[in-house]
This record gives sequence, structure tokens and C-alpha cells, in this order.
Amino acid sequence: MPHECTNCGRTFPDGSKEMLSGCPDCGGNKFQFAPAARAATDSSESAATQASDSTGNSGGNAAGTADDAGTVERAAETVRDWVSSGTNRSADASATDADDSTVGGDDSTAVSSDPASAAAAAGSTPADGTQRDRSADDRAERSWPASDEPSDGAEATPAGEFEEWPETARRPEDRSPSETDSPSTSETDASSASASPSASTMDASSPASSATSAAEPADSTSESIMADSENDAQADARSEVVSTNDLPDSPPQHDRGPDAAATPDEKTPPSDGRVVSEPSGEQPSIEELREELNEQFESIKIVSPGQYELNLMELYNREEYIISLQEDGRYVIDVPDSWRDGEE
Amino acid sequence: MGLFTELKDSISRVTDRLFSEEEPKRIGIYGPPNAGKTTLANRIARDWTGDAVGAESHIPHETRRARRKEGVEIERNGKSVEIDIVDTPGVTTKVDYEEFTDEMEEDDAIRRSREATEGVAEAMHWLREDVDGVIYVLDSAEDPITQVNTMLIGIIESRDLPVLIFANKIDLDDASVKRIEDAFPQHETIPLSAKEGENMDEVYENIAEYFG
Repeated sequence: MPHECTNCGRTFPDGSKEMLSGCPDCGGNKFQFAPAARAATDSSESAATQASDSTGNSGGNAAGTADDAGTVERAAETVRDWVSSGTNRSADASATDADDSTVGGDDSTAVSSDPASAAAAAGSTPADGTQRDRSADDRAERSWPASDEPSDGAEATPAGEFEEWPETARRPEDRSPSETDSPSTSETDASSASASPSASTMDASSPASSATSAAEPADSTSESIMADSENDAQADARSEVVSTNDLPDSPPQHDRGPDAAATPDEKTPPSDGRVVSEPSGEQPSIEELREELNEQFESIKIVSPGQYELNLMELYNREEYIISLQEDGRYVIDVPDSWRDGEE
Repeated sequence: MGLFTELKDSISRVTDRLFSEEEPKRIGIYGPPNAGKTTLANRIARDWTGDAVGAESHIPHETRRARRKEGVEIERNGKSVEIDIVDTPGVTTKVDYEEFTDEMEEDDAIRRSREATEGVAEAMHWLREDVDGVIYVLDSAEDPITQVNTMLIGIIESRDLPVLIFANKIDLDDASVKRIEDAFPQHETIPLSAKEGENMDEVYENIAEYFG
């Protein structure tokens, strides 16, 4: 039996809800998770068969819970990937996007300077950041299947454009939210500044593609499809997982596609909220963290005279030997003999 | 000079371990406040040397400085072991003078509280530096699964110190040795009542065998 009342020894199967309201036999509210081996030996009182079963189960359960968590996460990720078809990379995307957005400021400025030649803008985008390139590659891979269907009819050339696309698409995604973010904190402002240029790159690239061929419509269709699929699925996925990246994805699309127009509204506002909250939350959290750390590293905290809280691990790790405690929070610490001899 | 004495100390500590049969091992009696550590230390000391170690009290934190009784020789079944017993202040994460105000004046309670806190620091220091083995004393009538117990046992395990768990106060009605056995199944648990002298034979057998 995985769980056992520490008072009367009654055992409960894993996941039992009986224990939630206390042990039905003795009313005890302390339970322990009995390891399989011990359960088998100890719970001889309870049916031996049960114990044997439980040994298998408990072992399995322990592993199972971990597995479950893992599989759930993985499943969620795959679903997200599916749904977003490259644009949404929930956790990855958020991390990469954050990098992109911050880095994007510099890159984008460089890009913006380039745009003199619209074609160059498209070329410059891949050159921008290695980080982007990687992320772009990922997205390109994912976006490929989605883009393939429409693009097949359009041209073979779009491949190059598509590669560019995902990169640009991401940047604008990252930036477009940042654009909307402008009301947010200074950090976001910086990103927003970078965002606008990124948007320009998007625009620049799109004209470039249009100039080359009828790639535009193909792109727009693929995008719109992407956007649609993202809209439905993203709504769910985002509701579960808060990823700022997801939201940004849509905005670039609405620039071009009329289809996307509906989506950006939905997506942008949540993205804004999240983006704003993230940076603003960081600064206070750092201070809080510091306080927490200070508290943690203080071996003896004097709440008030006569009231103390002790950090045993800190006391244990402390080399000095505290021999007396002052009410102002100071300790008198035993000085090693060698020092004392030296002073004397 | 100081460096030299320090060096000498560390060398003698090493040789202590090498020739542990000749040098008495230092056994720390640890546990939460009011588990009966001093009562146990006194029981052992009286049984084998005739002296007491320290004052006992029902008020927690009576022991606020570590006290040592050296050269306690315990013989059991032909086995003999000489140990130094270190009775340590009860270890806790919170000390509040209001616990004692029923029993004494506020000033005294505050002082007791401060000394108790110093005592915990001292106990932790001893655990780090100066003990070769641990007798961990628990009140059988209390829930053994506490932060302090788990942390201390964890520290003791991390240091690879030999440890015996003494389930004390089995004379109390609501004592449950099983609860302690279940809480720390990886260690030997010996039930006893230091106050009443119950099961002391098994206690000494285990000490002789485990720390010998």
C-alpha cells in the first residue's frame, strides 16, 4: 500500500481520497508513503496479496507519476507545436522570442538601415542574429509543412522566401507585440523601438517577394492558413500555457492578410498584458529574491528579544562557533585559537 | 603556535579515528527539546560512572550548553566500549520566550530563550566538528516527522555518522514506537524509557555493539 496512517497503520491505495479527510479509523492526519519493500514486509497485517500488489503498483506509481508529468508536458508541447505549426514554440518560443526581441533591437536597427534596398532587407534578415537563425530554422521546419501546401501550387522559389519568412515572421511577431507593448515599462519600450524596425523589415521583405514574383499571394495564403490554425488552436494552447510569443505571431500576419485581421485583435491584447507583466514583475521579484536570500542565509533571526528563528543548515555550515547572542542581532563568535595567539 | 596546535589537533583527530579502539568515541546525544536527552545522559552516566551529567526539567531548553561526560565505559556481552557522552541542547528552528513565561519571570524567560538559541548553535557546531556518533532521542508520544528531525537525521546521514534512534518515553500512554520506526526505517530504533529505566539492557547492548 503506498500510503499508510502513521498512527494506526491503516493503509490506503495510491490516489485514495479517504485520507483527505483524515484516517477513517483513528482520525489521524499524518500519512506516509510506504516504500514497496517495506510495505510488503510491514503490512503483513493487511492482506499479503494486497501488499504484493502494492509493491508492484507503488514502484510503478512512483515512476508512473513522474512519467505522467513528463508525458503530459511532452504531449502539451507537441500539441502546441502542431497547432502553432512553427509559430508557437511555447516554452522554447518564449525563451527564444525574449532573446530575439532584446537582441532584435540591435539587429532590427541594422536591418532598418539596410532596407534602402528592399531585397537586401530580406537577405539581411538571415544575417542578423545567429540566435534568430536557429530559431528561424526551427520555425522554418515547422512552418514548412503548413506553407508547403499552398506554396506548392504557387512556386518552387518561395522556398528561399519561406526561409526568410519564418525569420521575419518571428521577428515581427516578437516585435509586433512589443509595438503594442509600448505602454508598458521601459524594457518593453526598448523592445518596442526595435519592434517597429522589425515590422519594417517585414514590409520590406514582402515587397521584395512581390517584386520577384507572385510569391506574395502564396505567402499571404500560407500565412493566413497559419494564422487560422493558430487562432483556434492557439486560443486553447495559450489559455493553458502563457507564452508571449504566441500572441506576437499573429500581428505580423494581420499586416498583410485580411483574414488575419480578426485574429490580431484577440491575440495582441493578451500578448500585451503578458509582456507587460513579465518585465515589470522581474524588478520587484529580484528585490524579493534578495530579501529571501538574506533571510535564508541568516543563521539566527531575531524576531524580537527572546524570540528567535534558527536556520539549522546555516548554523551547521557555519565554521565559527557562536558563543553568545546580542539582542541587537550581533553574535559573539569564538575566534579560533590561532588568531587569539597572534593578537596576544 | 596557534597553527601548530590546530595542526596537532587535526592530527590527533585523525589518529583518534585510526585507533578508535583506544580512544573513546564521542557520542552526541541529539534530538528536539524535551525528548529526554539529559535524562538519558544522566541514566547512562549514573549506571556506569555514578555521576550525573546535568539537570533535568520538564521545561524545554533546560540544557543550553553542551555537557560532556568523558570515559564512560559500557560493557555488554563481553564487549566493552568507552565513550564520551555529549549531552546537547535540544535542536529547534524556533525559540520563543513565551513558552517559558508560565514557569518564570519574563526576564528570565527571555534570557533562557537567548541561551537556548545559543545552545542550538552550539549543538549544530558540535555536530559539525566534534562527534563520532549520534544517539538521536525522540519522544515516542510526539510526531517524529518534523523539519528538525528530518534535517538533523539528514545531516547525520550525510556525514556518515553512525546513529541510533532512541524512542524514549515509552512509559507514556500515547507513545508509539512504530511511528518512529516508520519515520526513519533506515536506522535502528530502540524503545526505552530513560526516566523509568525501561529496556536499558537493549540500549547498552546496542551502544556497545554499534559504537564499539
